Amino acid sequence: MEFSETDEHVALRQAVAAIAGKFGGEYYARKAAAHEPTSELWKALGEHGYIGINLPEDYGGGGAGLTELTIVCEETGAQGAPLLLLLVSSAICGEIIADYGTAEQRARWLPGLASGESRIVFAITEPDAGTNTHRLSTTATRDGADYLLSGRKYYISGVDVADAILVVARSGPDDADGRTRLSLFLVDTDAPGLTVEPLPVSVQVPERQFTLYLDDVRVPADRLIGGEGEGFGQVFHGLNPERITGAALCVGVGRYVLDRAAAYASTRTVWDVPVGAHQGVAHPLAEARIQVELAALMTRKAAWLHDQGLPAGEAANMAKYAAAEAALAAADAAIQTHGGNGLSAGYGLLPYWGLARLLRIAPVSREMVLNFVAQHTLGLPRSY
Amino acid sequence: MNIVVCVKQVPDTWSERTLRESDSTLDRDAADAVINELDEYAIEEGLRLAEAHGGEVTILSMGPDRATEAIRKALSMGADKAVHLVDDALAGSDLLGTSAALAAVLGQIGFDLVILGSESTDARTGALPAMLAERLGVPQLSYASKVEVDGSAISIHRLADYGYDTVEATLPAVVSVVEKINEPRYPTFKGIMAAKKKPVQTMSLADAGIDPATVGLANAASEVTGWAKRPPRQAGTIVTDEGDGGAKAAGFLAERKFI
Repeated sequence: MEFSETDEHVALRQAVAAIAGKFGGEYYARKAAAHEPTSELWKALGEHGYIGINLPEDYGGGGAGLTELTIVCEETGAQGAPLLLLLVSSAICGEIIADYGTAEQRARWLPGLASGESRIVFAITEPDAGTNTHRLSTTATRDGADYLLSGRKYYISGVDVADAILVVARSGPDDADGRTRLSLFLVDTDAPGLTVEPLPVSVQVPERQFTLYLDDVRVPADRLIGGEGEGFGQVFHGLNPERITGAALCVGVGRYVLDRAAAYASTRTVWDVPVGAHQGVAHPLAEARIQVELAALMTRKAAWLHDQGLPAGEAANMAKYAAAEAALAAADAAIQTHGGNGLSAGYGLLPYWGLARLLRIAPVSREMVLNFVAQHTLGLPRSY
Repeated sequence: MNIVVCVKQVPDTWSERTLRESDSTLDRDAADAVINELDEYAIEEGLRLAEAHGGEVTILSMGPDRATEAIRKALSMGADKAVHLVDDALAGSDLLGTSAALAAVLGQIGFDLVILGSESTDARTGALPAMLAERLGVPQLSYASKVEVDGSAISIHRLADYGYDTVEATLPAVVSVVEKINEPRYPTFKGIMAAKKKPVQTMSLADAGIDPATVGLANAASEVTGWAKRPPRQAGTIVTDEGDGGAKAAGFLAERKFI
């Protein structure tokens, strides 16, 4: 077993940290408060080859794997500038198009994703289906050489900055054995028949959420990604990368807020010693640091399994669960350490708490992870 | 154009730096090591000149094994190859020894232009570029905030209190740069991956034909005879503005000869 990082991974961490560090927490907090995208950072990372690090070299990507993408997610987070859309554009959509797209589709979409010049977001969640993918009601109906898509999606991140949306739709009735016939379509964000409405959320993050109304949106056949009716398996292939990168982002955020808290607690003195000398302050920070470190280890394991082509579902779920819990505990302890300053706009810590809180629910809720572990790891009877 | 950029690995200025009790040399293990900041500007200038005029950029670094980290970083920024002068006998070399050693290597590998940062953040003498030019017998153009090359002619803006002087010379030459000159690039991912395949030639004293009697702590012409920790920072002076805050602040600065 080998725990030391390669020279290239160390250099990768340093380079991403240097670029993201120029933007940093002050930049992020300002953008988060205004719900404005952090496009400048995205562009800078894209120009240096870090946004599409996991995509194939033939299409302008870095030719590396999820392990390297998780490093990008972690290090941007650790500089206080986490990029939620890496989970969607680079991890889910990038991996699905690279794995299931035709040569033409890869050539059309991947170079933009790799350079960071274009983004593709992912639309699966529906108001009446929630986590139950079998109940998806958005339909794709054949019409000559095209498909017509109709239905409603919500909590779709980043539609305002995306060129296209990878939409999951039902393309036929369930099979006799209960298999859901889902298909994936790339829909332009300005396609006729598609209405995009902002979905206001109270959490302060730069990435905005949207509701999509699809009313007979015409999609040519060359926008079908992978096989018709094969979408279920393809989606699940993309969800592990999303969970793993989500975990990495949480690890980064956890590191960042704890660094901030440690710096504050080392200097803030109101009696005779810095507040960090008091165990009531120090222990929650130390506990959170332990949880963040454990989550980081599991995240690396999950990314490694995925890159080796080994089953990564269990590790990805565990990493995502542990990292979100750790980031939330870290943000909470960091805020508590700052006292009243922890809630001030000037110290800008609350956006990280909100982000960590969001990531306890998305991209998969902690309850669904616990269900997975209960059923698949422990062999308990299934609950749903 | 054959460009050689001299790169020094130094302790990170953000970490606690200290000297060894035993021999008053820098304790390099006690702090994180990074490329000397001004050397990144030197690398950037070398890369820009090579991109504009063609040619190769070679990194030259003298330092312990660990200096390979700084060399890799320079290669990941885009330099073509590197020479690492590494020998236990070099430890503790002063400026005379360092300049002699680097000049010997430069004489062997050849160059049209040598670029350096104008000083290092650890020793901070700022004298190496001049010594190197003297030993190599070529012109020195120092404190450059701009460099232009036209054939064998080189011209720089030399930063001064009053603006800049234009200084011209003929290649080969040694140029030292200031941070105003450019904005160093970040390594790209492709650059990081390419760096491990780029040639790094290691040279010992013997390889470079350097007389061991001219280098190292024992042969240094200068010696650290004593040193003390920096005193803790004093509390600042608070100027209360009662309508005369500006005058008081100016008086404070004038007292310390800042204005």
